[in-house]
Amino acid sequence: MNPAQHSNGHLLIFRSTDWHTGLSPEEIQSVMSDWTAWFERLGAEGKLAGGNPLEREGHVVSGKNRSVSDGPFAESKEAVGGYFLLTVGTLEEAVEIAKECPALPYGLTVEVRPVAPACPAERMRREAEAAAMSLKD
Amino acid sequence: MPTDDTSDIPKLAEHLFRHESGKLVSALVGSFGIRRLQLAEDVVQEALIRALETWPFHGIPANPAAWLMQTAKNRALDLIRREKRFHEKLPEITASIERLPESDGLHDDEIRDNRLRLIFACCHPALPPDDRTVLALKTLCGFGVAEIARAFLSSEAAIGKRLTRAKQRIRDEAIPFEIPENRELAGRIDAVLHVLYLLFNEGYKASAGESIVRADLCHEAIRLAGLLAAHPDTDSPRLHALLALMLLNAARLPARASTGGDLLRLRDQDRSLWDRAMIARGLFHLSRSATGNEFTEYHLQAGIAAHHATAESDSATDWPAILRHYDQWIDLNDSPLITLNRAVALSKVAGPQAALDALEPLRESGKLDDYHLFHAVLGDIAEQLDEHRTAARHFQKALELASVSPEQAFLAGRLQECRELTD
Repeated sequence: MNPAQHSNGHLLIFRSTDWHTGLSPEEIQSVMSDWTAWFERLGAEGKLAGGNPLEREGHVVSGKNRSVSDGPFAESKEAVGGYFLLTVGTLEEAVEIAKECPALPYGLTVEVRPVAPACPAERMRREAEAAAMSLKD
Repeated sequence: MPTDDTSDIPKLAEHLFRHESGKLVSALVGSFGIRRLQLAEDVVQEALIRALETWPFHGIPANPAAWLMQTAKNRALDLIRREKRFHEKLPEITASIERLPESDGLHDDEIRDNRLRLIFACCHPALPPDDRTVLALKTLCGFGVAEIARAFLSSEAAIGKRLTRAKQRIRDEAIPFEIPENRELAGRIDAVLHVLYLLFNEGYKASAGESIVRADLCHEAIRLAGLLAAHPDTDSPRLHALLALMLLNAARLPARASTGGDLLRLRDQDRSLWDRAMIARGLFHLSRSATGNEFTEYHLQAGIAAHHATAESDSATDWPAILRHYDQWIDLNDSPLITLNRAVALSKVAGPQAALDALEPLRESGKLDDYHLFHAVLGDIAEQLDEHRTAARHFQKALELASVSPEQAFLAGRLQECRELTD
């Protein structure tokens, strides 16, 4: 069976906002340079649609009362520090790219998620429709 | 997937972050005060991390050093506005941070002076000598705790404890943040030079093979000495002598190990690998060291290193001149270590038996019994006397005491040679 294709690409979500505590200036420079090279290369290969770091401060909006509270939103180990949007079509390719992340040895984790082709509810409706149509034949 | 195609990415200067961190810490300590050394270090660390988080996405800025300085300044301002304990001095500190230069300002007098002030604070006589070198590496050179631990063959916990204690001491003893003046300067500069000398030796002892960090210590000591030489208040003949001895010895570092990482004796080294530019710089500082009426141990060591560095070959080495340097050195400082090194020169001039006789008092006193190189020299002398069994015994003892793996491998090799000759 062919690997599932995801035409909207994949998101790499970088988790942990404190993985760099305790790094020496020398190590910071080395990881920074490797990461820059990685980002540039993915762009040059046409595999990257975009990516950004996120600021550490922000708000969380929740509940019926639409209450607004300050971050942090999660344990710093879990908090999202940035993301890449990859253009690659298969989860396998995206995972291979995630494995190249230069901060992995220092404790950063990378979550790899396919971007769904459309709203899942809409997709389910269309799939049901198609099934119904095929029953008619 | 590995790739070599990184040519269009701007290359940062080697060790830029490490060196900038030392510079930024001294600039911020100038604003915060030396009592808040830790705070200055934290702010600089955050600026570096900010670079790590954003440069990969937005590109490396045109002037990385200026970017780091600006980010550290902004972070420092945020922090002091938020912290209550700064309130009474807020306007003063804020103004002082805002006055810090925009650019990397290599020639900026204020930054240069703050770095010298921090050097004097880190090398203050109120701190134990070992703590001074560790503190200098952390705050002046920007090394991490783990890197220092590797360089000193110590644990991170032990180095961390030492740093905490040193910073506490700076607060408790109210160690000033200043370049000492006039009469005080002479004594204080000697303490600084001694720290640089220790730093250099720590790196030089075994900077081969796996211990890359240790060669870095040599280069850092040279860099800090260069900063002192560039300032009219601290420029002095003895400083040039120290610089000369460090440069002339460091020039030989590339040849100290074989391609396999084994230590090589001076006579086995490929002299074409010696760093000619460094030797030239060393000789320049040696000539500058002769301008005053100062004559120090650094002068003698620089003279010895100059003889080695300028000899065409091992056999062309002027050993009688080197021996005369050692004789004068012992007159200044009658230490067992110098006696040991002098014996090596003596063996070249007057033969191994003379060297052995010269070491007799040391053997009797037992002062160097725990020093592996003492036994290695005894082994070497015994070999020259064709006493291979005795040599093997000395090398065995040296091997038991050696703690750095390239040295252990070297001594194991010598031991093996002796055993083959006795069979």
